[in-house]
Amino acid sequence: MLGPSVVLFTVFVWIPIIGAFALSLFAWNLNGTPTWVGLANYHAMLHDPLVSKSVKNTLYFVAMGVVPTVFISLGLALLINFQFRGATVVRSLYLVPAAVSLAASAVIWQYIYEPRFGLLSYAFEHVGIKPPSEGFLFTPGWALPSLDVVCIWTTLPIAILLYLAALQRIPESVIEAAMLDGAGWFRRVRYVIWPGVSDMTLLVAIISLIAFTASGFDLVNILTKGQPIYGTETLIYYIYYSSVVNSEWGYAAALSALQFVIIVGILVVLAGMRRFLVRKP
Amino acid sequence: MRLSKGTLKAIRIFFATAIGLVLAGPLLYLIAGSLMTPAQVTAATPQFIPSSLHFEDYVNGWNQVLQARTFLNSVIFVVFAVGLQWVLCISGGLAIAKMRFPGRIAITTMFAISLLIPVVTTVIPVFVVTNQFRMINTYPGLIIPIAAQTAFGTLLFRQYIVNMPQELFDAARMDGAGWWLILRRLVVPLARPATAAYLAISVITAWNMYLWPLLAANGPKVQVLSEIVAAIGQGDNFGYSVTQPQLYAATVITVIPVVIAFLLVQPAFVRGLTGSGVE
Repeated sequence: MLGPSVVLFTVFVWIPIIGAFALSLFAWNLNGTPTWVGLANYHAMLHDPLVSKSVKNTLYFVAMGVVPTVFISLGLALLINFQFRGATVVRSLYLVPAAVSLAASAVIWQYIYEPRFGLLSYAFEHVGIKPPSEGFLFTPGWALPSLDVVCIWTTLPIAILLYLAALQRIPESVIEAAMLDGAGWFRRVRYVIWPGVSDMTLLVAIISLIAFTASGFDLVNILTKGQPIYGTETLIYYIYYSSVVNSEWGYAAALSALQFVIIVGILVVLAGMRRFLVRKP
Repeated sequence: MRLSKGTLKAIRIFFATAIGLVLAGPLLYLIAGSLMTPAQVTAATPQFIPSSLHFEDYVNGWNQVLQARTFLNSVIFVVFAVGLQWVLCISGGLAIAKMRFPGRIAITTMFAISLLIPVVTTVIPVFVVTNQFRMINTYPGLIIPIAAQTAFGTLLFRQYIVNMPQELFDAARMDGAGWWLILRRLVVPLARPATAAYLAISVITAWNMYLWPLLAANGPKVQVLSEIVAAIGQGDNFGYSVTQPQLYAATVITVIPVVIAFLLVQPAFVRGLTGSGVE
């Protein structure tokens, strides 16, 4: 009964994982015979400026995405965690972006970010701020945060739903007191609600991490192709580029191993932070 | 001055609604754009309300941009990848929950560890394996490697099935029922809530998937909707006769079914993600 599952799982999950490490020791263009190169791919990675650039971009992209997602979603969950007429409709407004694919989000936000007739440029000029000269997606310094906004937008609803579920477990009166008592509002959220939802915070962080890693490819490949001046070159996009475009499959496998180490590293850090998160004051 | 409880609630409702509109705004803005004339979309002052509605752009967006074939491919991909994966997950979940055999713990651990490995880090090697089977740009090549990602679903079903009363299984075994019969007659009907949670997550994920179809199915015969939508985002104008509102209309067509489905199934979606309360 377990047979089919284990066979497919081995072929399409474990063999690729192990095979990736093996492949990283070869040079291969996908068609010919792989050539053994030992650790040359890893050696080349050390001297490849795009590797350090893309790792830095990835960490920045993930941090600038996951951290705001956690805090904004908790804030919004607290805001809509009460009963009122029309609550179902209003909550639906919050949930809509979760169903929008990253590809469709890219189309939507490109419309909003458009430098000539876009809504955001217009809004910036309206309040007297000069919009970035090459547009939001192609001005150095603006591009990566602009992509983060898109992914935060699609990730928030899931995070809000998870926090709403967590808030159900805290007694109503405790939340009411923390929300309404004007004095020390922030302290009450920090010391009453934050510890109460800490388990969920870990799950929200992990789910956001996965979402931002995936969008590091989808949004970059659709909207910026790593530009401007490699400002949005993420590691996952560089892996795709090295393999599919440059046909350096061994090198791409070595980069995948690096990606793997980074993600597992972040997960270990998150698991470590769990102790900090769940600690009651 | 201290505000009354009613006033505070009214203020809160106002803010909740306003922020909700901001969050749904980008999608509403695209829908508005899809109904405008090309000139209105590119007006120097951004427009929110279409001056006249142009539903015919939806017909053109469907015919010239999306095409029925691509829509069908997306449906085939989702139905077969999720359907096959569901069979693998629920049968595997039953096996590691209730059957006693050597290596059960090792296999459970194997699923659990792989949960921590994001699909994006393995997508290139999975492509290499699929390519070795000569399955690139075929339906099986598109579907099977995704159906094989069974870790999350198997563990979801395992957790649900483990909590089913053992007496049910003992009684069925006493009556001489085989495990496949137990799966069909006992587990599938009783595990409906778990199946709902699983389907809610898997169907939406598969429908919106982009990187894997881009690698495994980039030919016109097998490509799926997300690849077309991505091409719109990349600035492909699908021939000079296609207008901006038509491109937006095509995008909206791919999004609306998922939005409606998600709003309907979101309680099951949350149960699946938290793994709790699947009971």
